[in-house]
Amino acid sequence: MKKRRNLKETLSPYLYLAPFLIGVIVFTLYPMINVFIMSFKENYKYLTGAFSGFGLDNYTTVLSDPYFQQAIINTFKYVLTVIPISTCLAIVLATLLNQNIKFKALLQTAYFLPMVTSVTAVGLAWKFMFNYNSGLINFFLNLFGFESINWLQSAGNNFLALVIYGIWSLLPFTIILLLSGLQNIDPLYNTAARIDGASPLRIFFKITIPLLAPTIFLVLIVNTISAFKVFNELFPLFNGPGVAYNLFTVVYYIYYQFRGLTPPKYGYAAAAAMILFVIIFCFTMLQLWLQKRASREG
Amino acid sequence: MKIKIENLTKQFANHTAVSSFNAEIESGQLIALLGPSGCGKSTMLNMLSGILTPTDGSIFFDDEDVTFTAPEKRGVGLVFQNYALYPHMSVLDNICFPLEIQKVPKAERTRRAIEMAKLVHVESMLERKPAQLSGGQQQRVAIARALVKKPRLLLLDEPLSNLDARLRIEMREEIRRIQQETKITTIFVTHDQEEAMSISDAILLMKDGVLQQMDQPQRLYDDPANCFVADFLGNPTINKLNAEVKDGILYVEGQPMKEINAAKLPQQRKLIFSCRAESIRLQKAADGLRAMLIQTYVIGKEMIAALQIGGSQIRAYMDSDKALPAGLEVTLQFRDKGIFIFDEASGERYL
Repeated sequence: MKKRRNLKETLSPYLYLAPFLIGVIVFTLYPMINVFIMSFKENYKYLTGAFSGFGLDNYTTVLSDPYFQQAIINTFKYVLTVIPISTCLAIVLATLLNQNIKFKALLQTAYFLPMVTSVTAVGLAWKFMFNYNSGLINFFLNLFGFESINWLQSAGNNFLALVIYGIWSLLPFTIILLLSGLQNIDPLYNTAARIDGASPLRIFFKITIPLLAPTIFLVLIVNTISAFKVFNELFPLFNGPGVAYNLFTVVYYIYYQFRGLTPPKYGYAAAAAMILFVIIFCFTMLQLWLQKRASREG
Repeated sequence: MKIKIENLTKQFANHTAVSSFNAEIESGQLIALLGPSGCGKSTMLNMLSGILTPTDGSIFFDDEDVTFTAPEKRGVGLVFQNYALYPHMSVLDNICFPLEIQKVPKAERTRRAIEMAKLVHVESMLERKPAQLSGGQQQRVAIARALVKKPRLLLLDEPLSNLDARLRIEMREEIRRIQQETKITTIFVTHDQEEAMSISDAILLMKDGVLQQMDQPQRLYDDPANCFVADFLGNPTINKLNAEVKDGILYVEGQPMKEINAAKLPQQRKLIFSCRAESIRLQKAADGLRAMLIQTYVIGKEMIAALQIGGSQIRAYMDSDKALPAGLEVTLQFRDKGIFIFDEASGERYL
């Protein structure tokens, strides 16, 4: 027997959902749609809401802006170096942390510490370490007979400093995810392969890595998205986009359009944000497609 | 291959899993390592495979001392309780894996893997992943993977415990068939006495890390070394009645039992009079132990009577297939076979 719902019963579930829905609508959905529309508004004035035209003008300007082009190149360079290196490093470290080693708990804590410390404090610590004259890194380089490197103030080296810092800050979260993935692998597979005479290296590549693949893909997707949005890392180390503005990244470019310019170019910022969205979207789709193909071939 | 186990002991931090285990296993036999859970049988198996190193004692494969040999150098095939098939590899790749490690050329390893797949009857599902197989099929693949490298010894850890009842009977006969076709010395761990009784050439029965008895299954049943062995084997479980010798006469549940010569039995000790359900004959009003019928059950073709005698309950097979009324007084007579007397405290057998 079907009972006809009255108005109150129909509405009550939405009432319970309302706090969450309102939050999502106001703080996520509305800004997204607004940015999308804003990206087509030419000479948009944020306070008055006035704009001179509606079209692709912002996009053509942004795409032909040499700063934006450099930002795109920098961002891609950053993603393509930081993601593979940090993922490989995290796999190795997670595997080691998953062994029965001494001081396991201590080491695990040490690796996860960056996640709970303030970005600014950590950034400052790195700034000291990267210091040309008295930094720890140059100290060790000198110790082993290498020349000091001007990490932060040289346009040739500061990208490397950014990459090192980026890799380091991605590691803890990546290691946590991979470690939980590793702990979900039944140790029996390891034992079985060992009885068959497989070497640890072979077990790692033939058994562990394939079984860890879903976690690796997850890590790749999450980290790629966050690496494309590289921005925060610029402040503690360089107070901005580096010497001679050579470290412009896409998100920094977006920020610059309405923070660093007078009058602010809201339209350009929105267009750049949309371009970044499309890039990240394509990359994520590509990764999902690769993952599907990989798991089908197995 | 012949196996000799000498004084094998495994001590863990706070308990002894296996203590002074001695056994010799003939080549080509199918051996059941039987015992209740926690009796050390899996520890035994892991020491044979090399996963665990014994605290004391030695293991010989033929004349070679393998006590401290690494697992991969022992030439053992191991089938895990939950099979441990590599989930990301096809059935064929799973079976090929041990050969791949031995660097067997691809054509040959495929040929040998297919040969093994045929032996265990999984040749039609070579391309499937383990998740696409039933429990029994996974078991077959696991056996093929263990056998493909031509091991000297095949070890199976609780091979049937993850299967449902019908499949269990089918698979245990398959294990028997495969073992007889390959003639590889095989040891399987089980806690199921019926499983051990039905397919093995010999049973090693363990309790608390100590070997209780090693013999052919029927011998274990007919001639148990102690009360535990008698109790562990057989379904229904063996009947146990309280007994005592007084003035040269055996009293069972307070009733004299003159048929049994009590001269060799210790006086003034608590004894257990044990008898198999098939060793009891129910009689109407004759000489013998008096008991009261509680109930009769029909299980398939068999009829079993539950009886009250003194403070104990026992079960007996009935000759007739006629149900008898509850409360009926009967007397019990015993056959010569399947009657034992044990010490209650130590389990030592006197008769």
